[in-house]
Amino acid sequence: MTERTGRLRKAAALVLGATLALGITAPAALAERLVIVMDPPSAETNRFWETSGDLALGPAMQTLVGNDPRTGEFDNSGLAESWEHNEDFTRWTFRLHPEARFHQDWGPVTTADVVHSYDLHTGEDSILTGINLLRGAELEVQDEHTITFVLPEPRPNFLFAHGGRGIMVIYSKAQYEAEGIEGYDRRPAGTGHFEFASRSIGEGVVFSAVSDHWSGTDATVSELAIRYVSEPSTKLAMLRAREAQIVALPRELQPEAVDAGFAIVSSTNPAMQTAFMFNNLYPPDVDGHNPDLPWLDVRIREAINRSIDREVLMEVLYDGRADTLVRFMMDPLNEGYAPELAERFEAAYGYDPDRARALLAEAGYPDAFADPVIPIVSTTLGGNPEFPVMAELLQVFMDEVGLQTELREMDWGTLGGMARARTAYVLRPMRNAPIRPTEVGLRVFFSSHGRPINFYEHETVEALLAEMATTIDAQARDELGRAAFTHLFEDYSDIPIAAVAYEIAVDPDRVAGWDFPGATAIGLSHWHLIDLVE
Amino acid sequence: MIRFALSRLAQVLFTIWAITVLVFALSHATGSPLDTLLPDDATPEQIAALTSRLGLDQPYHIQYLRFLGSALQGDFGDSLRWRGEPALGLVLDRLPATLSLGGLAVLISLAVALPLGVVAATRKDSWIDLLARAIALLGQAIPAFWLGIVLIWVFAVWLQWLPTSGQGGLRHMILPAIAIAWFQIAALVRLTRSAMLDVLDTEYVKLARIKGLAESRVVWKHAFVNAASVPLTYFGILAGSVLTGSIVVETVFSWPGTGWLAIEAIRGRDFPVIQAVVLFFAVIFLAANYLVDLLYAWLDPRVRHG
Repeated sequence: MTERTGRLRKAAALVLGATLALGITAPAALAERLVIVMDPPSAETNRFWETSGDLALGPAMQTLVGNDPRTGEFDNSGLAESWEHNEDFTRWTFRLHPEARFHQDWGPVTTADVVHSYDLHTGEDSILTGINLLRGAELEVQDEHTITFVLPEPRPNFLFAHGGRGIMVIYSKAQYEAEGIEGYDRRPAGTGHFEFASRSIGEGVVFSAVSDHWSGTDATVSELAIRYVSEPSTKLAMLRAREAQIVALPRELQPEAVDAGFAIVSSTNPAMQTAFMFNNLYPPDVDGHNPDLPWLDVRIREAINRSIDREVLMEVLYDGRADTLVRFMMDPLNEGYAPELAERFEAAYGYDPDRARALLAEAGYPDAFADPVIPIVSTTLGGNPEFPVMAELLQVFMDEVGLQTELREMDWGTLGGMARARTAYVLRPMRNAPIRPTEVGLRVFFSSHGRPINFYEHETVEALLAEMATTIDAQARDELGRAAFTHLFEDYSDIPIAAVAYEIAVDPDRVAGWDFPGATAIGLSHWHLIDLVE
Repeated sequence: MIRFALSRLAQVLFTIWAITVLVFALSHATGSPLDTLLPDDATPEQIAALTSRLGLDQPYHIQYLRFLGSALQGDFGDSLRWRGEPALGLVLDRLPATLSLGGLAVLISLAVALPLGVVAATRKDSWIDLLARAIALLGQAIPAFWLGIVLIWVFAVWLQWLPTSGQGGLRHMILPAIAIAWFQIAALVRLTRSAMLDVLDTEYVKLARIKGLAESRVVWKHAFVNAASVPLTYFGILAGSVLTGSIVVETVFSWPGTGWLAIEAIRGRDFPVIQAVVLFFAVIFLAANYLVDLLYAWLDPRVRHG
């Protein structure tokens, strides 16, 4: 009996000791592991070039050019320590950080990896957004760490292809030669502050921190577990239950998180512009022109813009934490920014239902229109849960001044298909995320270069963009961009809504802060700068 | 018997063929995968290249024949959304998650519903009968997604007894299994109660009581065994739902099973995965029914002789 009691005591002591040990060590281990909850990406894969640009491998993979975490400007925190271009922007030379190394002992980053990555990203199977900025280059290898992109035409915005938005991330050629594409599918070697650990389909990706990172700075977090959760209330519950420390929470749920003691962290710069677009604003001789669209009349476009109380929109959609957008695609950091348009905005676009009604009467609306009903698309898009509410509010404002509207629910893919067929005769929501360079944005959405999905074509903008394409003088380019934006502003080419920062809800007991510029397609970046509470 | 088996086999094969036509037509009717795969600013070259790579530039009958030829070899192609993953492999990978969750849900529903239905019938109009009827009513009236969210908030957020979502062991399965089981419990309680009420009113049960058998023996051995055929019939439907998963519950609880896979594939117009999911389950259901038919025919000669 005594022997048995002794054994029991020993067992109890062991259990107690183990429990105490766990109790002591568990918080330390937990303190270094963070769970980040995000919307599921459009494609779950390690092959970045086979996605439309969702860099879900951001913590592990790097581009040639980095972004400053505060200003968002290009810097050398990527794989290139410096770069230069010739006078006409047709030759861009990048010098790689000589100390940059791939994870899993796949060796140093060399120009061979850049050539290999370029081939991957510009191949036939690439469906990346903005690929025209990258394609068509000839790569001249100067040495192991210096490479020149020789471009067929001037590309002053070439860095955008290599920056945070990144349509080319650098993969290891050595890994590809040893393991093939399956190696990338299993565990791609990157160069970032975290290395890829595992992927569970439908659940997320886990990254572990790299110690002694080649950049000389290490992450404060030892493990990042990115969880994909689509249901907003589940996301909030994960935060409230302290299962996740950082959650990309829709704005309508953010007040609840704040009331419960959680904090909202915003990107240091606007990460996205939102707008409603008048589709198919084309001249009569262009495919897709539909003479029955009421918004072909500029008075109708102005009336719609005048009918909207943007203050209410900002409050309802963004909880007051967004700036009214003056012009879709125009940004103070980019070429062609026209500050005078901001000054003219209230006079030209300000809420004025009486003016809207007068414009409609002047245009003879609705009797003078074959089909006066204006369809407004209500749709959802990952990262923009506000779009359906935006559509409903727009309908309310437009109805108020006498416009006849109809709300049409459809998924983003169907809308894209209609746009590609040039038959999307609707008002539709649109975002610009991250904010594109001026020339890129204008060419894609407001000129014939963007066919088939462009929203707008006009000879004035075509001429300005044609001139911009051959102009290398910075000031002249700025003037051309400014003229294009002014024309679009005065022509009421769209319904600008907001410039919005990317926001996340964080557990303030664990996360003290995080500087990220909102310069990537998924909004987040600079994962190593997540600042933990001491 | 062989003739019967061959005849039934021919019917099964015809049905599978018809399903291949349906699933091919319906998946194409939902739209083009190009619309979800390509970015908004895709160039005409990208559109053309992807169209060609996916074989979408071929006439429908050629696309169908290619799909059929590959499907016969168990090859549905690679997923469009989960690049590098074979479509059928994705379905098989997700199956254990759904089976384990569905299996637990069935266990919970049987463990709760059968005793409750029986007790409710034996104590008709008592408080427990009222409770059973209330559960049956609420179970069928409450949407699964709402119940799922309520369960998460009560047990994971407020009480912090269980995790909110995701996979990771039995603790992660309890809440979603209850959310799935809730509706099943409601249906089973109602069926068990009404079947028991019918049986308890029969002459042989009265005779058993007159003979002085213990009430528990009368209820469980004589009445329940005979009444069980009704809920057992419903069990077949349960088994089906276990296999295919619950889209709503799997989404709310972020549980990547086959239901989640199916809805994500439909959202992404991932034709290979949609076709693999539907055909896989169709074949399983048809094979099970075929086996049952053979068993019936073997047990009852009247079946095989028409």
